[in-house]
Amino acid sequence: MYILAIESSCDETSVSIIKDGCEEVSTVILSQMNTHANYGGVVPEIASRMHVENITLVIDDALRKANMKMDDIDAIAVTYGPGLIGSLLVGLMAAKTLAFIYNKPLIPVHHIAGHIYANNLVKRLEFPLIALVVSGGHTELIYMKEDYSFEKLGGTLDDAVGEAYDKVARVIDVPYPGGPLVDKLAFEGENTYDLPLPLNDDSYNFSFSGLKSAVINLAHNEKQRGHEIIKENMACSFQDRVVEILVKKTMKALKDYGVKNLIVAGGVAANKGLRNGLTEACEEAHVNLIIPEMKYCTDNAAMIGAAGYYAYKRGDIADLDLNSKAVTELK
Amino acid sequence: MKYLFIDSATTNLVVAIINNGKISYIYNNNDGHDTSSKMMPVLSEAFDKASLKPKDIDKIFVVNGPGSFTGIRVGLTVAKTMAYSLDIPIVPISSLEVMASRSAGTALINARRGYVFAGTYDNDLNNVYPDSYVLMNDSLTKPYISYDNFDFETVKPNIDVLKIVIKHENDEAVNPHTINPNYLKLTEAEEKLKKHDRESE
Repeated sequence: MYILAIESSCDETSVSIIKDGCEEVSTVILSQMNTHANYGGVVPEIASRMHVENITLVIDDALRKANMKMDDIDAIAVTYGPGLIGSLLVGLMAAKTLAFIYNKPLIPVHHIAGHIYANNLVKRLEFPLIALVVSGGHTELIYMKEDYSFEKLGGTLDDAVGEAYDKVARVIDVPYPGGPLVDKLAFEGENTYDLPLPLNDDSYNFSFSGLKSAVINLAHNEKQRGHEIIKENMACSFQDRVVEILVKKTMKALKDYGVKNLIVAGGVAANKGLRNGLTEACEEAHVNLIIPEMKYCTDNAAMIGAAGYYAYKRGDIADLDLNSKAVTELK
Repeated sequence: MKYLFIDSATTNLVVAIINNGKISYIYNNNDGHDTSSKMMPVLSEAFDKASLKPKDIDKIFVVNGPGSFTGIRVGLTVAKTMAYSLDIPIVPISSLEVMASRSAGTALINARRGYVFAGTYDNDLNNVYPDSYVLMNDSLTKPYISYDNFDFETVKPNIDVLKIVIKHENDEAVNPHTINPNYLKLTEAEEKLKKHDRESE
């Protein structure tokens, strides 16, 4: 079964053709990052404008790369949410149009299901599993007993982990996109600043706003005293705390649910500090850890095509009045 | 010739199919902010009622602005995706011209903070005061044609799709990949950046 998938939830216009939920036939990703870098972050209206300018070019490119025609496609999958509503709508309308004119099933895919199923393109998922979803908009622990069954164990109560990275980057004058650069700096510094371990309790929830405020206050106080902040050390101290709590709660979930498979998903899965921390903890606990290749960590349509296959098997087929949702729970 | 007309730039969603000079289907309703979910079911009904398939269409006329940014994108995405994949010629149309299609005057769309999208059209749909983003002012030719009330004499738009299609029947088709919205207005972020650049020069 060939699925043409469209993803446009933030600042990447992406189209992919995926066979049977696991084989990537072609993927095209048009990133708007360089444009948004001029503004220090993603500007929703500019993102929407760029999506509409590029959407058909990206669809065309994906078909060409696959050497396929629309008639060879069996179904259309699309990210319906969560994300920037204006951005989502462009991909959604294009997908609905294709589904309508070629009379193909329209499969609505939750963006986070996509991030989880990015791992299926690397290796077939094994169940039961725990998924740690970490990105600019999400920090969640999800239990899956079988394909396309999602039970949310916990999530962030305030900032997502990627959001906290971006804010800390601003405090220590690291340019956009701050997250990857903070990760890089962390490896050049030492843990010298005393920061709190955020929401260190028995729940599966996270909170990063306190940690972020601690970094802001510390930086402010140091400046008042005329001390210069050592960026590398601040990045390292911050990252150590983030990784510590993410690893701690993830390992607790694995233990509590007696699960031996862990997958990591989302943009922050590219973070080397987190990768190292989880690799070490999983080796010790004899847990099978799957982290997607770097190219699948950022937003892409390949993961939507992979998830779309299993969504279709579950019977998720949308009508033509399908709408985008800026905020929506994974079910 | 079989034509498809789509306009979702204003508060009214308009979808029409014209078959050999006659309107065989028209939808023209105020759907508020629900255009994105309304559009495809309406389109599907249009083809059913007209007993046509999307591939039968010879030309697509799509309103590409000005108006609601999101609204423009909804209709344009559908139209360009269809034009691209079925290789159908596509022609952009002004939302203001559509509003002024039955009676001459100045078509107005509220653009907030005292600004409007304005365009004056005569009875032959010539754009005598070019579509612009301007501060609302008294020099704009009356009557005003708008879904909003600008004065006591504001005329509600009464759309003549056939007249528009005939006027633009022989317009040169544009590349579906490069037919883009005509917002007539930069985003706020772009305006700020431009202002900042000017000041620092």
